[in-house]
Amino acid sequence: MKKNKLYIVAALALLAIASCKPSLDEYTPSAGSLNFSKYVAIGNSLTAGYADGGLYLEGQKVAYPNLIAEQLKQVGGGEFKSPFFSEDQANGSGYITLTALVNGQPVTAQVTDKLAYRSASPKLLTKYTDPINNLGVPGMRMDMAFAAGVGSQAGNMYFERLLPDADAMKTYFAYSTTQNHTFFSFALGNNDALGWATNGGVEDGPTSKLTSTALFTSLLGNYVTTLTAGGQKGVLATIPDVTATPYFTTVTRAVLLAAVNATNPPTPVTNIYIATKSGPRAATDQDYFVLPFSSTGLLGKPNAAQIPYGLHPLNPVEDKYVLDVSETATVVQRINEYNAAIKAAASSKGLALADVHEFLNNVKGGVRINGLAVSAKYITGNAFSLDGIHLTPIGNALMANIFISAINSKYGSKIPQVDVAKYRGVKLPDTVTK
Amino acid sequence: MKKLLFSILCASPSLLFAQGSQVNLQSPKAVGMGGAGSAYFLDESSIFYSPGALAKMDHNAISIAGNAVMYKSAFQEVGSTVVYHTRNQISPPFSLFAAFGPKNSWWKAGIGVYTPYGGAVDWGKDWVGKFSLVSLSLRAIYIQPTLSFKLTENFSVGGGFVYNIGTVDLENSVPVFYPDGHAGLATLKGTGTGTGYNVGIHYNLEDEFAISVSYRSKVVTKLKNGDATFDVPESVASNFPAGNKFSAELPLPSTFAVGMAFPISEKLKMAVDATVINYDIYKELNFDYKENTPVLQDTRSPKNYTKAGSIKAGIEYLASEKVQLRVGGGYIATPVAKDYVYPETPDNNRYLISGGFTVKPSSKFDITGSFAYQRIIARQATNVDSHLSGTYKTNIFAPGIGVSYKW
Repeated sequence: MKKNKLYIVAALALLAIASCKPSLDEYTPSAGSLNFSKYVAIGNSLTAGYADGGLYLEGQKVAYPNLIAEQLKQVGGGEFKSPFFSEDQANGSGYITLTALVNGQPVTAQVTDKLAYRSASPKLLTKYTDPINNLGVPGMRMDMAFAAGVGSQAGNMYFERLLPDADAMKTYFAYSTTQNHTFFSFALGNNDALGWATNGGVEDGPTSKLTSTALFTSLLGNYVTTLTAGGQKGVLATIPDVTATPYFTTVTRAVLLAAVNATNPPTPVTNIYIATKSGPRAATDQDYFVLPFSSTGLLGKPNAAQIPYGLHPLNPVEDKYVLDVSETATVVQRINEYNAAIKAAASSKGLALADVHEFLNNVKGGVRINGLAVSAKYITGNAFSLDGIHLTPIGNALMANIFISAINSKYGSKIPQVDVAKYRGVKLPDTVTK
Repeated sequence: MKKLLFSILCASPSLLFAQGSQVNLQSPKAVGMGGAGSAYFLDESSIFYSPGALAKMDHNAISIAGNAVMYKSAFQEVGSTVVYHTRNQISPPFSLFAAFGPKNSWWKAGIGVYTPYGGAVDWGKDWVGKFSLVSLSLRAIYIQPTLSFKLTENFSVGGGFVYNIGTVDLENSVPVFYPDGHAGLATLKGTGTGTGYNVGIHYNLEDEFAISVSYRSKVVTKLKNGDATFDVPESVASNFPAGNKFSAELPLPSTFAVGMAFPISEKLKMAVDATVINYDIYKELNFDYKENTPVLQDTRSPKNYTKAGSIKAGIEYLASEKVQLRVGGGYIATPVAKDYVYPETPDNNRYLISGGFTVKPSSKFDITGSFAYQRIIARQATNVDSHLSGTYKTNIFAPGIGVSYKW
């Protein structure tokens, strides 16, 4: 009897030790009916991993398609190649870093070492012509994707980099639809509206044109039809609202007035004057100043007639620095029209829809993800990089999860989520500048 | 940009004392019987389990016991294949009980030093919930002088005053990032004190049938002047003042316990205990920083605990004059509602099994060993505060040993 009891005690102890580390297996990845053996990502700077005002290796590695591809490996995803800059040229196009916070204000500097330029004028990058899966090209637009010559030396240096010299006249559309893909993500069109908006609603050249909805819709239809010609599946992304980005929401009328009044003018300044298409007027809180305006040093600078810049109707802030209320309405409406076209295309072709527009509108007000506070605030929001428009690694991880959720919900696949907590926000200097 | 305000959102550090932190390992004899035995054991550990029973001891004694609690949790985020485990860490609850007084008298005095709440959990700095919690170590040490009186031969009462010294050491990641990409870290360390009491009555019949009723009051422990240290990049250090202090209030709940003991046969004795733990006093946890900045605000975490309870039973087999063997089990209902599961103590209802033995090398000495195993049922939860969403599963095992000397 005593021996039996001892056995029981010993057995209990063994049982406990054996199961001491709890195991969990709550999620079994599955591709469902999808074939991820060759996933290609078509898009612009966001797709390429552009961040902090440049394309560089660290950003390329955490581009959302690369994060998605890493997860796809668990559901039969094939190798995913990106046109990475070499370690020697890791800083690619160059980018900005935060060097100090002086009285809480960011001071940035341009990174100028380890760049990847093979020519300074015209600016050309070291070629990368091996087969790739991340086809993202910074600056690419829906209209430009169909224009020959964009990949030439006179065109877009990021696209030029990817094309063999003999193919310089190939369109991005032709290039991106002939990769023998089995699955695709498509996130093109931001720049068709954003290029105009970031230039304050001023068109000066092909990169700041506002593409018409009719053209956008027709090109999109053409694109999606071609991409799905072999029955391939994919995911389309909507275009974010420009007013959800710190590029437009950081430098406000109130911030500028406070800055001017901090210099103790003889009489307090109460108005900032801006140039609009219908003449100069006082700015309101509904007018967005672009982020780079803050570093131009123009505000308050007297002109030849000794009229301070931006503080008088006779020397207003130039139109290109302000997306005024009517321009904002124009661009918001245009983006809504683009998105309606994108949603219609996804639904007619049976494609998944990653609603980036909706997601970034939610982030705008601030969300908590696994205890991590994320918002659209400049620097502190952790989602947007120093250029105020492209994403941090955290932002890319969140974006990857939006795509993954969209694919899973459309096709019943079970692609595992990215762990956002593994990624960083904006790097802050570990030194103090007085 | 001149007036661009720079502010950092600091993830609110949160801390809690949960069911998961209640450690019923005061006496290895009771542990061997699933934690039951408040009516059964008439020894120095009655200071904790049933102060009313103390006066029925026919001898004086001192005992010490220690445990090695291994709290092993796993977490899997919803939609992810990655499973995170807490690091191996041993927390050492201990107890010391001494009972003294004239032999066969109507009264007995005693003192107990024990750790009824405590635990350690360390998820590391690389897990998905690091902005909620990296690690937490907490301990409540109760010091309880006790007096017990026999009112009749069968009926006795007792009570003690409880003085608590509580310590806490908490870390969580702060979403400010160094140039190499790693996140900042907040560390909160503090010590607090609180007071309460523990009272009980004990009644037994001739035939060894006994009943114990006891009530351990809540002990509200106030942490003042705890150290709040922030490891953050220098450029934002002014937002996290050096040498900052914090205060917090940690309510440790009251417990109402009823125990019964009765013989099954001459050599087999059984004990059954039921408790109600009034965790519903734990509504929220607030951290009040001495110095606030625009980014370092006081924090408020909702906890909204409910009452919890447990039922435990055990059997002791008197194998010989010198050897006793025990086995027991129990079920413990959680006070933590689904929306309020935090990684500090990822609690749920749990099962407990245990075993133990006592050997008596001499009439004055005995050595007791115990082993308790608890399985917290896997639970999928989304936290109301952090939105951390996933499944937790926890196993706890606790070998313990104690020695007592009587005279």
